[in-house]
Amino acid sequence: MSTTEIAAPATPIAWVEAATQAGGRRRRVPLPRWARRLVGPLLLVAVWQALGSLGVTSAQVLAPPSAVIHAAWELGRTGELGANLLASLQRASEGLAIGVAAGVVLALVAGLFRLGDDLVDSSMQILRGLPVLGLLPLVIIWFGVGELPKVALVAFGTLFPVYVNTYAAIRGVDGRLVESGRAFGLGRAGLIRYVILPGAVPGFLVGLRFALTASWLVLVIAEQLNATSGIGYLMNQAQSWYRTDIIVLGLLIYGLLGLVSDALVRLLERRLLVWRHGWSA
Amino acid sequence: MTAAVIASGLRRDYGTHRVLAGVDLTIEPGEFVALLGRSGSGKSTLLRAVAGLDPDYQGGVRVPARRAVVFQDPRLQPWLRVLSNVLLGMPKARDLGRRALAEVGLAGRERAWPATLSGGEAQRVALARALVREPDLLLLDEPFGALDALTRLKMHDLLRQLCARHRPAVLLVTHDVEEAIVLADRIVVLSADGRLDAGTTVDLPHPRRRDTTEFGALRGELLGALGVTEAT
Repeated sequence: MSTTEIAAPATPIAWVEAATQAGGRRRRVPLPRWARRLVGPLLLVAVWQALGSLGVTSAQVLAPPSAVIHAAWELGRTGELGANLLASLQRASEGLAIGVAAGVVLALVAGLFRLGDDLVDSSMQILRGLPVLGLLPLVIIWFGVGELPKVALVAFGTLFPVYVNTYAAIRGVDGRLVESGRAFGLGRAGLIRYVILPGAVPGFLVGLRFALTASWLVLVIAEQLNATSGIGYLMNQAQSWYRTDIIVLGLLIYGLLGLVSDALVRLLERRLLVWRHGWSA
Repeated sequence: MTAAVIASGLRRDYGTHRVLAGVDLTIEPGEFVALLGRSGSGKSTLLRAVAGLDPDYQGGVRVPARRAVVFQDPRLQPWLRVLSNVLLGMPKARDLGRRALAEVGLAGRERAWPATLSGGEAQRVALARALVREPDLLLLDEPFGALDALTRLKMHDLLRQLCARHRPAVLLVTHDVEEAIVLADRIVVLSADGRLDAGTTVDLPHPRRRDTTEFGALRGELLGALGVTEAT
């Protein structure tokens, strides 16, 4: 074996430790990340409290956090909070159940049958352009001022996100998977069961997420009109008495409900979409 | 015994473009035929017609009812575990499915999700899914095209063993001349104008080594038929 002489470079090579180019080692920060992320919001609450305590903002403009907590405790003690929360939850879940079920059924009809597609999808694409809250006067004429108009509004508001996303997911199922299913002897029913429906689940979950957000959004408005119970009613009543503590409390509860429902969908996703990441069940 | 595939005067047009212009192809039971052709020559079109995935051809294609396809991509249903994928459309044959998985070297992976498999493993599942149906005709559409070179060599061995054991008639569509020579009993070439040549019988003993003169000569001949000349 022969070796080739390699000419020495004219200038000597400057050697460095590879890691130094990554900007040196990271300095350790004593607090974990989640704790550091909490500092910002806590600071915000502290400033908000200070503004109230120092009399910069009056309680009639914006009640301080301490007043909000106090209001929560008071309303909780009398049972007013629980009853109204329950009323809101009931409306939201009834409306959601109707809206989601109708959205899924319509998406199946439009997604799986050509005739259904021609009949349903065009109408749905037109109707989904309507602002849900614009329906309010009509809904009141149709359903009066009881529970029904609120539930109906939530159902309308949740129907479209579920429909649009589920329909798109059914239509978007990988044609190659359908073809391979067919090549291995799946009939129409088998294709729907083993290929199309499971393939549409991720899209449906996206729709469900939008629907949950929409349900609270619609409910906030619906409950401030002609309601005799619910979080929105509580806030509306508080407005007459300049009780900003209760208004802020209502807002916080709506926010919390949004967070909780989002977490529920994520839990559902973990269960239904195990195959995506290969988590073992 | 009658032939496993008889295609006669098979034609297929896409709009005004004629892809297959009267193809005659006969495959005997147990025979391994490789179909070579340049990309876009209509190899896959021919295979899809034989597989029954394309209803719009003209001419006659007689095929056995029991046939199975392996595509270039594994096309496993991502939401079904490996065993359920193998048994797609035949859910009551769990033991058969397990045996098929063992045959392709994936015993114990029955409950794995497709997303956790490597490319080679996924393609072996696809192979098991085809084999478990005991097909009289096995259709392979560039099944190893997406695999790395090392995995491809292993898959060639595996496929040869499986075919020797189960003896289905095989139609392998490929653009890899060496793959065709290593595996096939007979090689047919699809020309750019959509016609098949008479076919070349491969008379080399198995396992076929790529470094023999006969192999090289055959490769040169086939490359010539495909309109490619190798640089020397």
